[in-house]
Amino acid sequence: MYERRITRAGAPAIGLAAVLALGACGSDDGTEDAGSAGAGGATTAESLRIGIMSEEGNLTPHTYATGFPGLNLTMLSYDSLMQIDENGQPQPWLAETVEGSADGLSYTIGLADGVTWHDGEALTADDVAFSVQYYQAGPPGRFATALGNITQAVAQDESTVVLTLAAPDPSFELRTLADVPILPEHVWSGVADPDVAPFDETTNVGSGPYRLVESDPGVSYSFEANPEYFRGEPKVDELVVVQFADEAGATAALRSGEIDTMMRSVSPEQIDVLRGTGTLDVVEAPEYTTTLLVFDTAVAPFDQAEFRRAVALAVDRQRLVDDVFLGAAVVGNAGWVHPDSPWYDESVETVHDPEEAAGLLDGLGLTDSDSDGIRELDGAPLSFELLVASNNALRMRLAELIGEQLGEVGIDIEVSSVEMQTLDDAVWPGYDVAQGRNYELAMWGWSAPSQADIGQMASLVATDPAIGNLNITGYSDPGTDALAAQLDTELDTTAREQVADELQQRIAEEVPFVSLLHPNGAYGYNPDVFGDWVSITGSGPMTKLSFIPGDGQP
Amino acid sequence: MTTTVSTDPEPGPAAVVRRGRRLRDHTTALGAIGGVIVLVLVTVAVLAPVLAPYDPAERAGTPFSSPSPDHLLGTNDVGQDLLSEMIYGTRVSLTVGIVAAAAAMLIGTVVGLIGGYFPRLGAVAMRGVDVVLILPFLPLLIVLAAYLGRSIVNTVIIIAILIWAPTARVIRAQVLSLANRDYIVAARSMGAGHGYVLWRHVLPKTMLLAIGEFVAATSGAILLESSLSFLGLGDPLQESWGSTLYWAQARGAFLTPAWKWWVLPPGLLIMFSALGFALLGYALEQRINPRLRRS
Repeated sequence: MYERRITRAGAPAIGLAAVLALGACGSDDGTEDAGSAGAGGATTAESLRIGIMSEEGNLTPHTYATGFPGLNLTMLSYDSLMQIDENGQPQPWLAETVEGSADGLSYTIGLADGVTWHDGEALTADDVAFSVQYYQAGPPGRFATALGNITQAVAQDESTVVLTLAAPDPSFELRTLADVPILPEHVWSGVADPDVAPFDETTNVGSGPYRLVESDPGVSYSFEANPEYFRGEPKVDELVVVQFADEAGATAALRSGEIDTMMRSVSPEQIDVLRGTGTLDVVEAPEYTTTLLVFDTAVAPFDQAEFRRAVALAVDRQRLVDDVFLGAAVVGNAGWVHPDSPWYDESVETVHDPEEAAGLLDGLGLTDSDSDGIRELDGAPLSFELLVASNNALRMRLAELIGEQLGEVGIDIEVSSVEMQTLDDAVWPGYDVAQGRNYELAMWGWSAPSQADIGQMASLVATDPAIGNLNITGYSDPGTDALAAQLDTELDTTAREQVADELQQRIAEEVPFVSLLHPNGAYGYNPDVFGDWVSITGSGPMTKLSFIPGDGQP
Repeated sequence: MTTTVSTDPEPGPAAVVRRGRRLRDHTTALGAIGGVIVLVLVTVAVLAPVLAPYDPAERAGTPFSSPSPDHLLGTNDVGQDLLSEMIYGTRVSLTVGIVAAAAAMLIGTVVGLIGGYFPRLGAVAMRGVDVVLILPFLPLLIVLAAYLGRSIVNTVIIIAILIWAPTARVIRAQVLSLANRDYIVAARSMGAGHGYVLWRHVLPKTMLLAIGEFVAATSGAILLESSLSFLGLGDPLQESWGSTLYWAQARGAFLTPAWKWWVLPPGLLIMFSALGFALLGYALEQRINPRLRRS
């Protein structure tokens, strides 16, 4: 049994308060349902209709279009050697045993018995070795990158594979074994150009709980349950995925009963509206997606840690969560790590204290000498431009609020909404931090994997672009660099935890960026059709885990 | 004797006058309605700080509240008072509409004057006008807005670039007929320069026409500004009616009961202001434009 099925993350009490203040709503079954099947609605279904809003192309590991929901849909038909469990930890899956050598350079993998492909052939060690070589030889992509560190993959017998690594990688299980889908050799060995693989009776062969039986990209997909699935027969017999032009259309379809759920988080203000319909419910779960306030740490006065700390102290994160997200978000932690992550260091405090911020600014000699409410730096008013992508309404509202809050401590902020591409060019030119940056302040965000893998924390703060490939604030500090390098290579779990804690404290103190909040995922669904969702901490309920029976969970 | 005097002039002019009056009454009434609407809007725009119960940027209440005595039109997604936003939005919408239309009138008048007065140059200029007229409007507007970036100045420029062509046409037609009038030919033959003739004799006779066109163009400009802002291509941080609609759409008001106080009011205001200027423009045009004037 597993304790946490649906984490209704109204959990932060403040969030609930804000929701209640709005008046509406059935907070019928409150915050928690512990393990009991059916708490969220029907536990099995003949057919579940799912709305998506993006063009997904052909759903193979080579041709899927988006990370979410494209890859999540693709992984319904495929499996990886390990599988993320509800807590975001990699667990044995196709691989029944995973043994790493002491030096971290070799992994011996024993495959589970009796796993077959959709066409009845057995899944063997040869398929695993083939998959590694096939991705490595193929076009660049997520899986080729994940496997880049493997120098050799040898099938020792029917069910044992040995992987040899070029360098030890503490995140290998999470980033590689639990991510890369294993391919059937008897299908893909005959495909020379996987990038243009068509949908047909062979390329839809996987090992996953569902088989893609109809594919009409841009319109709909249809998945059929695989009754022979090695983890047990899936809970829903048929999944029909329908594409909608936009969220408004899909939400309307959900309300009218044309679809039963949506693979897209609804916006905060819709949560109560959907619950208020009486027929629909919303599964709300914390997600690792981050929203940040970033600044160029090479520009004065952002080059001083005291100034950056003052900015962080002046921002009222709780207010942002309440006012813009109506409570449907988790307050960002000063040490970067999401409070629900197993790596989270409780000793790091996140404080809002405008008076202390003002004190710090005074201490830096940034005072308001002409009494216009704005402090001066060398005689010039302390005034900055805050860039925000114009396609993100919520972030624009956040930027406006932050501008007000910084204004209260005497820092003048002018919010500019720009095209997403313009923002990327200013903050992360060429998606390569080595190319520098050209902005003062900006609203930014990283996707869930940057939190799920603690090793990514190093990439946010390290000076060396090889490690710090996400260091868009140009932050550089020798003490932090040492911790980052250690985090990137430390194999021992306990020691790594220690390093992660120290790095979180360091980030809270040095403020290389301000982690503002993590929007919760909120997925509307019809509990009469299906409601037995299984949420993965940080990535939500829209994965294959929701369709795998209780005794087959990782 | 008396009969001839009284009956002779009677039938013709009287009939014309009667027919004319019937028409003019119609036009005048419409023009008056338009004028009142415009006057009210201008008053609201000028007196916005007095009329608005709150500062539109202030977070005056709970986000997403429905109408209440405190907030007659409820609040938006960050708790700003929607009524105040509507009132201040009048300023942005009218300013953009009027400035863009004025700029368009300026371009149109210059092109029209040159086009009508110098026939050869005019032939070339009018082909340019043709090109602008056949450009697919909204797509071009969107491309330009995306390319130039979003700010209120750019919005004005974009709208002006796109709506000057009809004005140029009307002005040119007027100038063409003026250029062959006897007094202009006389002035020219006495040695008056082109500049003098244009400034002294042609421009004054076309000015009224341009003003009529300007009022009509304002109506179009307000609609365009709203469309741009609604599509998120204006400056979404500038509170115009269009951007209120943009936020309503972005925060799902179209799917909730909030449309009644968040979507309907800006929609109606846009409609009324466009209608007001259109009616006023129509009435002015009927009186000014010699081609439309009944004879």
